Amino acid sequence: MRTKSTNILPALFTYGFVGLMAFLSVFPFIWMVLGATNASIDIIKGKMLPGEALATNVANFFTLVNVPLVFWNSAKVTILATVLTLAVSSLAGYGFEIFRSRQRERLYSAMLLTLMIPFAALMIPLFIMMGKAGLINTHIAVVLPTIGSAFVVFYFRQSTKAFPSELRDAAKVDGLKEWQIFLYIYVPVMRSTYAAAFIIVFMTAWNNYLWPLIVLQSNETKTITLVISSLASAYYPDYGVVMVGTILATLPTLAVFFFMQRQFVQGMLGSVK
Amino acid sequence: MSELQLTGVRKAYGGLEVIKGVDLDIKTGEFVVFVGPSGCGKSTLLRMIAGLEEITSGDLIIDDIRVNDVDPSKRGIAMVFQSYALYPHMTVRENMGFALRFAGVPKPEIEKRVKEAANILELEPLLDRKPKQLSGGQRQRVAIGRAIVRHPKIFLFDEPLSNLDAELRVHMRIEIARLHKQLAATIIYVTHDQVEAMTLADKIVVLRSGVVEQVGSPLELYDDPANLFVAGFIGSPKMNFLKGVIEIGGDGRAYARLPDHGNEKITVDPKGLKEGMPVTIGIRPEHFKEDGSASLDLAIDMLEHLGGETFAYARHGRGDLIVIETKNGRGLKSGDRIAARFDPACALVFDEGGKRMR
Ligand SMILES: Nc1ncnc2c1ncn2[C@@H]1O[C@H](COP(=O)(O)OP(=O)(O)O)[C@@H](O)[C@H]1O
Ligand SMILES: [Mg+2]
Repeated sequence: MRTKSTNILPALFTYGFVGLMAFLSVFPFIWMVLGATNASIDIIKGKMLPGEALATNVANFFTLVNVPLVFWNSAKVTILATVLTLAVSSLAGYGFEIFRSRQRERLYSAMLLTLMIPFAALMIPLFIMMGKAGLINTHIAVVLPTIGSAFVVFYFRQSTKAFPSELRDAAKVDGLKEWQIFLYIYVPVMRSTYAAAFIIVFMTAWNNYLWPLIVLQSNETKTITLVISSLASAYYPDYGVVMVGTILATLPTLAVFFFMQRQFVQGMLGSVK
Repeated sequence: MSELQLTGVRKAYGGLEVIKGVDLDIKTGEFVVFVGPSGCGKSTLLRMIAGLEEITSGDLIIDDIRVNDVDPSKRGIAMVFQSYALYPHMTVRENMGFALRFAGVPKPEIEKRVKEAANILELEPLLDRKPKQLSGGQRQRVAIGRAIVRHPKIFLFDEPLSNLDAELRVHMRIEIARLHKQLAATIIYVTHDQVEAMTLADKIVVLRSGVVEQVGSPLELYDDPANLFVAGFIGSPKMNFLKGVIEIGGDGRAYARLPDHGNEKITVDPKGLKEGMPVTIGIRPEHFKEDGSASLDLAIDMLEHLGGETFAYARHGRGDLIVIETKNGRGLKSGDRIAARFDPACALVFDEGGKRMR
């Protein structure tokens, strides 16, 4: 009896803690979904039950927002950013790991140091640069600063450590040039690393807010995050409509994560076995 | 007909020289084995031949052409790696055809060659599997198949059997020997296992710290080692080494006095020997014979009965263990005192620097 009770206590504590954490992370989602079915006034009052205003909220959202255009803008920015970031940063991570030299190690350390600079400090110089390049209010300006991602380079360099060097040797004997080794051997062998990086980069790009807010100024170029935030900061914000927008904005990242969950976990565990 | 020549080949990593001037001549169809302890530079030398490692100085000549700066894929070589290095995302068929596809060989020809190689290696039922779905021995065969389809002039193997279990290793060793006959190919094979070297090679190259110690057929190296290192490295169990001091008799005959064996004297060939010279006497375990004229007074420490023969590990007093191979050792017990007799003509003499005196 005694030993049993001493065993149950820590288990209870663990379950309690995990339960609390689960609740804290799921609650905003529940609130978002419930909110989309209620009128703004009920949400402010703190109503936590399903309501009947879903159809009205959806209709209002579609009249207030040019949905196809806004989603097209978001998709364009996200796809461009994701493809370019993966291409450029994986190439860099591979290069840093395979072709080592003292100078490259210095460059790499310097690159990692940039992770410690907060974006707020870069915003103004970046804005001036984009202004000089005549790129203000373009999607290129949104994408450009993100594609050389120190974090993604780091992630690919770490993953490349598990890439067998004898595969490179075999490919060289088989007659492949360096770029072909990268394209035909490295990329397919590392595909779960790419999948994990894809999810991270995709979500970051899709949810990106601060930099697009600064650099995108006309309604024709704005992305979904900007539009939702402008709805929420109106004089009399309609929270029901905001919740509908938030749900729609969450769907793509949810879909990506559900479809790629397995590769994501594999990539995080290391892709070469 | 010489297929491959190395002259004064060196390799340095920064200031560290790991291949210290290798001269070698390999003939068409020869099975050459590089053998030596781990870290002696076998892989480095092989990789230099393959073109995967730059040659710091010296010449590498294949078919009378200097290929130091020729791309690996254009040297007429194919390599089988220790880890097999199969492309994990391709099927066996794709792995084997990959190099040919890149060389622009037409599809039907690729098909034909892959089939041919698969047939030789009994890989047909596995052609559509991925490497992950294969056993170690099967991966090994695919790696060899990938080399065969390219019809190379020279096959390079880097410790290809070291990842296999003992039984499979023996099986694959025979397989490789058979392949050598069947393809009539030139093979350069790296191993640290002297048994593999002895059983496979036409010619063994013994390496130590980046230097070629001796080149010769397996039996040449066994019977006639050039130095203490080769004598100790080739043969299992190892050759016994005894400390000796040379004494020259009045009649000009030379003896080696063995201070660790009660000053037992054995007759040796006097050529090159001087009075008082310290030497090492080498005797192989199987050279102990009951009718020998020299004799060591030993006590048996331990016995290994293999059925057909017995290995007796014995010592004089507290001296080094000496291994004796005998056909009639079943009656021996540990603790027995024996007179281990041998023919002094079988004993090899090495000078203080380890060089063979002959
Ligand atoms: N890239 C390298 N940089 C520095 N030293 C190396 C490098 N590759 C091999 N070596 C050194 O060269 C020597 C020979 O290595 P290797 O040819 O792999 O030996 P083996 O195959 O005979 O075991 C070793 O001492 C090893 O430490
Ligand atoms: Mg090696």
